[in-house]
Amino acid sequence: MKKLFSVLFASLLFCATNAQADVNPAKAEEFIKNVTTQGIEELINSNVSDAERNARFTKLFNQDLDLDFIGKFVLGRYWRTATPKQREEFIDVYRKLNIKTWSERFNEFKGKHFEFLGTETSKSEDQIFVNTQVPMQEGAPASVKWRVKDNNGTMRIVDIIIENVSLAQTARSEYTSYIQKSPNGIDGLIQDLKAKLK
Amino acid sequence: MNKISKFLGVLLLASAAQIVPVWAEENADDSALESYNRAMFNFNAVADHFVIKPVAKGYRAITTEFIRERVRNFYANLKEPVSVVNHTLQGDIADSGKSLGRFLINSTLGLLGTFDVASGWGIKKNETDFDKTLAAWCVPDGPFFILPIFGPSTPRATTGMAADAFTGTTYWTGYFATFGNDVEKYSFYYGITALGFVSMREEKIEFLDNLTANSVDPYSTIKSAYIQNRLKIGVCGKAGASAEEAGYDFDFDDMDDE
Repeated sequence: MKKLFSVLFASLLFCATNAQADVNPAKAEEFIKNVTTQGIEELINSNVSDAERNARFTKLFNQDLDLDFIGKFVLGRYWRTATPKQREEFIDVYRKLNIKTWSERFNEFKGKHFEFLGTETSKSEDQIFVNTQVPMQEGAPASVKWRVKDNNGTMRIVDIIIENVSLAQTARSEYTSYIQKSPNGIDGLIQDLKAKLK
Repeated sequence: MNKISKFLGVLLLASAAQIVPVWAEENADDSALESYNRAMFNFNAVADHFVIKPVAKGYRAITTEFIRERVRNFYANLKEPVSVVNHTLQGDIADSGKSLGRFLINSTLGLLGTFDVASGWGIKKNETDFDKTLAAWCVPDGPFFILPIFGPSTPRATTGMAADAFTGTTYWTGYFATFGNDVEKYSFYYGITALGFVSMREEKIEFLDNLTANSVDPYSTIKSAYIQNRLKIGVCGKAGASAEEAGYDFDFDDMDDE
């Protein structure tokens, strides 16, 4: 009985410290390596049809990006006042618009490859930055930072920072400024975003 | 050529005269600046839609990627003396020497800069400009504003751009040229400048199309991205702000009170 207790206690202790511990840098980097090689470099150079490519890209997008988390961040303080229905609708349209935007811009990565430059800690315990760069034909390489969140062992991308420009931060500026000016608030935003999908 | 330098001087003064009061008022009330910015942004969007973008598309239609790359290299090389001067002003003599070497090699063996021979020899491009020099000298960036035609800028970026025009090759070629009369020198200067502008716009066709098609407020999107990108430039010799320092907190603990 005593033994069982100590095992239980030890496992409890382990869980507690595990929750406190920072994200494993090697694991985070490995995760981004998979995303960039399988998801981007191989997909873009493969000879599959456009439909197949889009399907694979969408799957990758849904699997590896935590869009629930990002969507919440980009609404900023308006997330708090949004109704559950508005939240759900916003996340849905935001997800679809991101997939559309990025599948259109996918070709920018053609012939490019990512070089890994290690990781950087973040203020949030469950998040870490993976630093990469993309050599360009002309001039200095472009810096691409991935913000990775550890959801209890599952890695998810929560932001991509290209040349110091955070996609989440930029979207947040766009949407909060829109809601501020829009007479229809969040509903107006959702409607306009839906119109962008067509 | 005299007229050109006068024109540029006037442009510099005019922009400074416009900017300084705006800068001073920044903290008092930025809604005036914001409404000016949005108006100028819309004006630029119209000019772009009807004139600049069609010209850029026309340029793309009559050239191949090979030619366009030669053109981009040509313009990058014209700006190399700007890097030579500014690396020196920032105290980086070795980098200044490299830029000078690149300029000499590429202007001759690289056929007027159209081929980047120096990169092949391991002397990689390492650009800098007066804006970065001012940053190194601890000059703050100032508020975001939209320039007519040129688009997003700040007081420091505008000052840098105007100063760079005087240290670039185009200006001095015109200045020392022994060919032609004033009108011809004028045409030469503005012709070169205009083609450079078209070449820059051509590169951004897809990116800007995508941005305007998918943003509900392109002005806010561009403003936010521009300001974040500017933070990359270190001030007073310090490294630029990281994404996290750029006032961006990714913790939602305070938002989870459902």
